[in-house]
Amino acid sequence: MNDPGMNVLILGGSGFLGTAVAQACERDGATVRVLSRSGRTAVGEGVRGDVRMPRLGLSSADLARVREETTHVVLCFGSVSWTSGPGEVLETHSSGMRQALAFLRELPALRQAVHISSLLALGRAKGRVTNRELYTGQRFRNWYEYGKYCAERLVRDTPELPVGVVRFGPVLGPAPRGGRPDTRHGLPMVFPHLLAGYPVHLARRGDFPCWITDATSAAQIVLKALTTPIGRSTWTWFDPAMPTLGEVFTEVCRPWGVVPKIVEAGPLGRFTRLIGERVGAPKELTEYTEPWFDLDVNVLKEIPEPWPAPDPDYLGATGEALRGGTERRALV
Amino acid sequence: MTEQATEQPRSVEVSVDTDAHPYFRVYSAGNFGEVAPQRLSPMSWSLVGDPMERGTRALARRLWGRPAWAEGGHYVFVGYFGCRPYHNLAAYCHLSASIPGLQPSDVTDAYFEGIDSPEELTALRSGRVRQVAGSAKLLGELRDTGPRLRSLEERVAELEWGLRAATTTDSPIALAGVLRDALPVLEEAWAVHILTTSGLVPVTALQRRVYGKLLRHGKEIAHWLTRPRELVWDRLHTAASTLDPFGPGDFLASSFYEVADNQAPWQDYAVRHKQVAGGSGEASVAPIDPAEALAGMVSPWRGRTVRSLAVAVGEMMAGREHSKSLAMRTLHIYRRLLPALASSMGGDADLWPYLTIREFTELATRPALIERARPRIEACRAALATPMPEHLDLTGDDGVIRPWLSRTPQGLRGVAPGVGTGTVMTPEGDLPDDPAIIVCSSADADIAPLLPFAEGVLSERGSDLSHIAILSREYGIPCVVGYPGAASLPAGTAVSINGSTGEVNILDPS
Repeated sequence: MNDPGMNVLILGGSGFLGTAVAQACERDGATVRVLSRSGRTAVGEGVRGDVRMPRLGLSSADLARVREETTHVVLCFGSVSWTSGPGEVLETHSSGMRQALAFLRELPALRQAVHISSLLALGRAKGRVTNRELYTGQRFRNWYEYGKYCAERLVRDTPELPVGVVRFGPVLGPAPRGGRPDTRHGLPMVFPHLLAGYPVHLARRGDFPCWITDATSAAQIVLKALTTPIGRSTWTWFDPAMPTLGEVFTEVCRPWGVVPKIVEAGPLGRFTRLIGERVGAPKELTEYTEPWFDLDVNVLKEIPEPWPAPDPDYLGATGEALRGGTERRALV
Repeated sequence: MTEQATEQPRSVEVSVDTDAHPYFRVYSAGNFGEVAPQRLSPMSWSLVGDPMERGTRALARRLWGRPAWAEGGHYVFVGYFGCRPYHNLAAYCHLSASIPGLQPSDVTDAYFEGIDSPEELTALRSGRVRQVAGSAKLLGELRDTGPRLRSLEERVAELEWGLRAATTTDSPIALAGVLRDALPVLEEAWAVHILTTSGLVPVTALQRRVYGKLLRHGKEIAHWLTRPRELVWDRLHTAASTLDPFGPGDFLASSFYEVADNQAPWQDYAVRHKQVAGGSGEASVAPIDPAEALAGMVSPWRGRTVRSLAVAVGEMMAGREHSKSLAMRTLHIYRRLLPALASSMGGDADLWPYLTIREFTELATRPALIERARPRIEACRAALATPMPEHLDLTGDDGVIRPWLSRTPQGLRGVAPGVGTGTVMTPEGDLPDDPAIIVCSSADADIAPLLPFAEGVLSERGSDLSHIAILSREYGIPCVVGYPGAASLPAGTAVSINGSTGEVNILDPS
């Protein structure tokens, strides 16, 4: 698996998945450079920059080194908030992506880049979707989905660059850097609500797939995309066990000794949403209470085997991390 | 224009200034300052300020009756001081009090770069019933803008054909016929322009309010959704590329607003010129529009309301640009017509830039009117030597020119959303290979051909509803205004602008 001389630049490598990818690359023997606005990183060399700026806002010294040495790039930057407005989302996913792609054109040694996209870019896609589809006339639930769609659209429109796309659903698991998982964004927003014992409405009581995976296997897939290499293909990865959304909620709540109150209150319609909002569930979450889209499970087969195995009980570990977060955060 | 007796011209002061309004005495160059030459000849003023005043008065009369403050021999809504055209800031802010829910700051934000508004004269405020009735009438007028513009477009085209026929046959009588027919067309064009320009302010304020109620991030979304679908400028720039001297796009090669742009001293103020970008831009795949993306995020009725308002505002923006283009095309007819007629009259008729259009029209039957032009030459020379402030305070009533100062400092303003980064280029410069940000002191539709190639616009001047803001929205590129010294940024400077927040970063050249 190890590609000698692989020099990986990770854009947005200080985030949840970016850290896991950086760790996977470093374990694989690659030289890792992580670009973030703070310039700090737990893994590899940190460089200060900003994807919204030309040439990533790198200082001239960093720019020369990065340009000369980088052979692989992972694009995993951008807002992950489901509640942000269009300005914040498009600032990174659209403007930032355009800058990042322009920068890739200036890398003489670039062999492979991977854009980490999201299955949520498919929004409420109608019909069965595969790796080929991006826009099927779908409607978007929030600006995050639209932002991810814009980013992947931009990547697809650069045929001259060796950029592949890897799509994930929600990525769970303990935070790679330790500490309490962030429950301010994405699907984890629901966990405090569930753990507090509030009921949650899910169609079919959550008996539908949510295309979830864990950070470790997701990072392994990104590494595989870099080393295989993926070329300009699109891969989709999710836990092959395909836990349903109801199972995910149950497993995450298990370490707390809490049984999530999942109810099917569809006939109550708008009332359910209003109640949810009154007790603190963000409105954006209620958009995900119906089956999301019909994804062809055979998309997994487009990833060369062997596939990485998700961490055993990563859902329980997520719940456990939520419990022990206070102490761990103090250590971090 | 005020002129004291001409019996003894050596001892009597002659001025081309208009009378100031008795109550509303704070003026601002405002939108004129962005798009018009800094000084206008008396002829151009009579073709711009005069019809604007008539159009605004007529609109105010239709909406709110005949308030005493909007009557009289003086100008109410515009002014011409030191050969500089001004809007009457105080009068426009007062108008905002005649529309329920509108604040003077909505007007100043829209067209006066966000400066503070003068104190309101509450005694002149109209009653509540009249306010509501006036607003309803305004909506009715705005609804009929489309047919008016289409009819006007036909009339302007007829004038252009008439000018072509008259010029090719070299017939003074035919030229005089065009002169006779042009004034009503010009007045109608300015009247529609006034209507769309004025109407945009309450409608955008309403849009912001409704979005704030219906949507999370409502104000931000209003920024992203409000885009005119198609502006007239593309079509006109395409027409200009045919180089037809009587075609609809020919005016783009001339100074907007100034019809005497080939004559001294007015040519020194004629700053506009055509820029046509060569080559074809790289076809970028446009992701689906934010307006479409929003459709799935809100309930159907909210979505319909939001979309309808966005379309309405976008269409009004397009109407504003369309009416302006028609006014400019008609002015261009005058630009060709007046020198031709003057030369056919012979004598001193080349003093025509110092006459008003009505004086010029009567010149054939009353040749003595030319005498009015002579003292104005010296008056204009003196006026042009006097610096005129951007905002004018005439409350002192002592004839001293004082600038009117806004207490609130004017900051950077994002007027078209998005983030753009690139190296700076001026509208006169060549297109760089790298992504470019157009920097300018102010901008008008003349830079429209450059916008498909630009990553954004950074301007020293501008407001929320400026022409450059509307154009940038059409092309989906960010625009930030109110950045002092934008035009003097050295070529090659890398700059990043955020049209949503107004943030500007000059990037470290090292």
